[in-house]
Amino acid sequence: MGSLRRNVLLAATALVFSAGAAFADEDRPLRVAWDFEIDNLDQYYNTNREGIIFARHVWDALIYRNPDTFEYEPLLATDWEWADDTTIEMTLREGVTFHNGDSFSADDVVYTLNTVSDPDSGVLASRNVDWIESAEKLDDYRVRINLHEPFPAAFEYLSEAIPIYPGDYYREVGPEGMNENPVGTGPYQVESIDPQREYVLVRNEDYYEDSPKGIPAIRELHIRTITDKSTQMAELLSDGLDWVWRLPADQAERLERRPGFEVKFGEAMRIGYMGLDAAGRSGHEALQDVRVRKAIAHAIDRESIVENMVRGDARVIHAPCSPFQFGCDEDAAVKYDYDPDRARELLEEAGYGDGFEMTLYAFRDRRWTESILGYLADVGIDANMQFMQYFALRDLNHEGTTSAFHMDWGSYSIADASAVVSHFFKGSPDDFAQDEELQQWLEIADNSIDEEERLENYRNAIQRITEEVYWLPLHTFVISYAFTEDLDMQAYPDEIARYYTYSWKE
Amino acid sequence: MSATPQDDKNLPDFGAALSEPSAGQMLRRRVFGHTGLVIGGTILLIIALMALLAPLIAPHDPYAHNLANRLVPPIWHDWFYDDPRATWTHIFGTDHQGRDYLSRIIYGARISLLIGFSAAIISGVIGCTLGLVAGYYGGRVDMVVNFIITTRLAMPVILVALAVVALMGSSLTIVVLVLGFLLWDQFAVVMRTLAMQMREFDFVTSAQALGCSPRYIIMREILPNVLNALLVVMTIEMANAILLEAALSFLGLGVQPPLPSWGLMLSQAKDEIFFDPWMITIPGLALLMLVLAINLIGDGLRDVTSPEGRS
Amino acid sequence: MLRFLFRRLVMAAAVAVAVSLITFTLTNFASDPAIAMAGDTASAAEIQQIREREGFDRPLVVQYADWLSSAVVGDFGYSYRMRVPVSDLILSRIPVTMMLGGAALTFAIVLAIPMGVLAALRPNSWIDRTALGVAVLGQAMPTFWFALMMMVVFSVFLGWLPASGARSWQHFIMPAIALGYYATPAFMRLTRAGMLEVMRSDYIRTARAKGLRPHVVLFHHGLRNAIIPIVSLAAVQFGFMLGGSVVIETLFSMPGLGFLAWESISRADLPVIQAIVLVIAVFYVLLNLMADLANAYLDPRIRIG
Repeated sequence: MGSLRRNVLLAATALVFSAGAAFADEDRPLRVAWDFEIDNLDQYYNTNREGIIFARHVWDALIYRNPDTFEYEPLLATDWEWADDTTIEMTLREGVTFHNGDSFSADDVVYTLNTVSDPDSGVLASRNVDWIESAEKLDDYRVRINLHEPFPAAFEYLSEAIPIYPGDYYREVGPEGMNENPVGTGPYQVESIDPQREYVLVRNEDYYEDSPKGIPAIRELHIRTITDKSTQMAELLSDGLDWVWRLPADQAERLERRPGFEVKFGEAMRIGYMGLDAAGRSGHEALQDVRVRKAIAHAIDRESIVENMVRGDARVIHAPCSPFQFGCDEDAAVKYDYDPDRARELLEEAGYGDGFEMTLYAFRDRRWTESILGYLADVGIDANMQFMQYFALRDLNHEGTTSAFHMDWGSYSIADASAVVSHFFKGSPDDFAQDEELQQWLEIADNSIDEEERLENYRNAIQRITEEVYWLPLHTFVISYAFTEDLDMQAYPDEIARYYTYSWKE
Repeated sequence: MSATPQDDKNLPDFGAALSEPSAGQMLRRRVFGHTGLVIGGTILLIIALMALLAPLIAPHDPYAHNLANRLVPPIWHDWFYDDPRATWTHIFGTDHQGRDYLSRIIYGARISLLIGFSAAIISGVIGCTLGLVAGYYGGRVDMVVNFIITTRLAMPVILVALAVVALMGSSLTIVVLVLGFLLWDQFAVVMRTLAMQMREFDFVTSAQALGCSPRYIIMREILPNVLNALLVVMTIEMANAILLEAALSFLGLGVQPPLPSWGLMLSQAKDEIFFDPWMITIPGLALLMLVLAINLIGDGLRDVTSPEGRS
Repeated sequence: MLRFLFRRLVMAAAVAVAVSLITFTLTNFASDPAIAMAGDTASAAEIQQIREREGFDRPLVVQYADWLSSAVVGDFGYSYRMRVPVSDLILSRIPVTMMLGGAALTFAIVLAIPMGVLAALRPNSWIDRTALGVAVLGQAMPTFWFALMMMVVFSVFLGWLPASGARSWQHFIMPAIALGYYATPAFMRLTRAGMLEVMRSDYIRTARAKGLRPHVVLFHHGLRNAIIPIVSLAAVQFGFMLGGSVVIETLFSMPGLGFLAWESISRADLPVIQAIVLVIAVFYVLLNLMADLANAYLDPRIRIG
């Protein structure tokens, strides 16, 4: 009886799904859903992931970093070099036009860089641009960028993190106008942003052919914001959407078995970690004792969490950075295996044999945090969860009131250890270690242009962070992509959806 | 949720019913003759027993996790779908952490009842104090209280609760406090009306003549006579609090895991609705039964204490 | 009449100010706007700079007075997160929420009034009991659970209705039912009680005695009188729906005020939260005022002088 009804339902759903596959040509729009609304379409006033993806489609940066080979390739700049430690000279591509018809030249680059690197501009991701002192025009297609001090990761930031705006247009409309009507040189241009916050992008028919991004195969992109995962699933199952991502692994795996759908998992640069207030900013006693922090590291079965909860080929990590990042040497990290008995011993030594109470702040996946709580409870640590929205939690961290937090960091897809290690351990409001020697190593590692010197100092930093368990690195993130089976897509490790590489299967 | 001036129109009934001496016997007969009240009472009794006896009847520790044994389907998947993973060890299956679902449902009864009760008590104390004082004194005091009530009614409950919980962080205590401080309006409206009417009754005026303090009159003379109405409002607010906690949980801001509230279990299972619908159905039905029972009791009480009762 | 209107308007304004004061205090107490504005990578010095630039270091009372004096002329400041005027944001989101609230209210009334009338005409019959059952069930279901169930059945299995969005009238069907169902019992009870009361009253008996046909009596006299409290309830419920739409709008991904409120709450975007709460409060007070006026018009007996 039960299975009969299920079969009928399955048959009915199959009917519904087949309706969508009627036209498989380039005119068929790709309908996708994102979890969050973009804060501001002007990239420099936006910090969320969705905005970054939007930007890669509408704008081009000076340099392209090939997501497969990690090599730099020409985008708006065709050639670049260090003139000296604090000066970069770049040659620009000729014959490129913006979506509004303006032609691209050195003036646009100079205006964009000087505008956004001005400390008074109030840009949000200031880390992306604050190393720039000024930009100047050498001739129509050559620019010089002056740095405050040596900054070896400069090309990493120049590739993609800094989109180039049409100078005249931006001067005229400002950030507000750019938010209302974004104009760039990218492979897609904005067709409409309706009040319902649905973005319709259409292919830029004048896109330069030798762009490493390539000419898009799909003509139209329809992007909607749907915050609830079950609603996204319902839309996908009822042919209201073609593509969603970040489904919980359980659902993604089940969906894969349904006819009509395909699921891909892609490891991302994002890493999960548990931060512990070693410096005592929040006033928590026990966590200031390194033995307690080591006990926590031994108490949590990261392998089991990854295998059973995170799933999809995620890996346990021991260093506080992504294996995809330059300078992230896993061998430098002190490794803690799952050993609850050792954890209890350590707690006993530290004088917390009867356990202690703590609050674990979290924002991402409550189930993962719940697993951690379970393991902590096993060794007598009474941790209660404080689940918050990301921004509220980030603010609490900056105030320094959080004693322990289970969070993750995507490094803005910057493949350099500075984007994570230095962000958290160089004395910023996010720094719960307040370790001066560590800060000095990072200072050297961030600013040296000698690769060996950089590597060595990051190694020192990684060793110190793990030895002291300022952080317990947890695992890499695996992003799931679920889509209709007639879509051809590729997943990249940097958590950027590149719709310009997607196509409909014949 | 509606505290409207119209509710007042039905209210004189409470007072009238109580002033009749034969009401006691009538009441007993009505209570047991009232189908809704009996059904609601029985369900609530079962749930309350479940909550009280949880450590005795739960087959497993509701917090014992086993990640290797997660998402085991309930026993009826063995009967209908021949799923070999479904066994009698976990009658309702296991959740994301591999914890026994039945045990969590049983313990969840405690949390959900606790939320409903505590929130209703807090809001009852606030609402009754405001309402009785306003109704008894009238005049300026009444005007001020009336203003407070209107202000409270004009504040969107869910939004304010969400904002507070999201910005301050969420825990069982905070959720109960927030709900308690937001749901007192009905108590205030109803108590105010009743107190206004009682003020004119003989036993109040004679107490005043004897020189009793207003505090004594309110506590000893008026309050005991409005207990029935109080109970009815209490059921409404209990149901409200439980549903609101579920709504907060839906947005991730209700009671926090690993505590097993039914609202939380419901919201945690919502992603599973397409592939493991049993996960959302079980706590959903539990919550439905609980709120249904409370509402039936509330309706029943309203019926049996009013002379025009429908039974 | 004019004096009554004036008094009510003053009261409405006072309530709006009180609500905004409470919201302002609560949100500022719970969150530091300078940190919220600063973004991921800000240093402590940058945060302090923002605090001074935006005047967050001034006493809360001064900040509130400042905010209120702009708010009365419709200037709610800028959204921290979107950097657009809050008033623009709210104006663009109001239509969806209004339509949703209106549709939900219509659903509740269309379902509740006939059921209430039938129940009143045949008390304790199966109609009465069914109506009661429908009502009790509606009040006992968590809204999002009910909404999800509908989505699974009507969007996924049957494919009849779109699962999310607000592009066409079909998009509003499920959200309106989910939101309206919770309010149905209140309307039904009121209709039933009102009808029973009216039917027992003298003038209906008189009308019957005069030999008027039953349905004329029912609709012309009975319902007309029973409807007076319904108008008040509708006003109140509409106000509640505007506030309560946050769960439904989030689940169905409808770009209305509730969705905006939820997004703003999750980003600690205080100016938007404050403005939304104020707007909903003002709506609530105005609706109640209008309901009172409508009642005065419908029932000359309660005309207030």
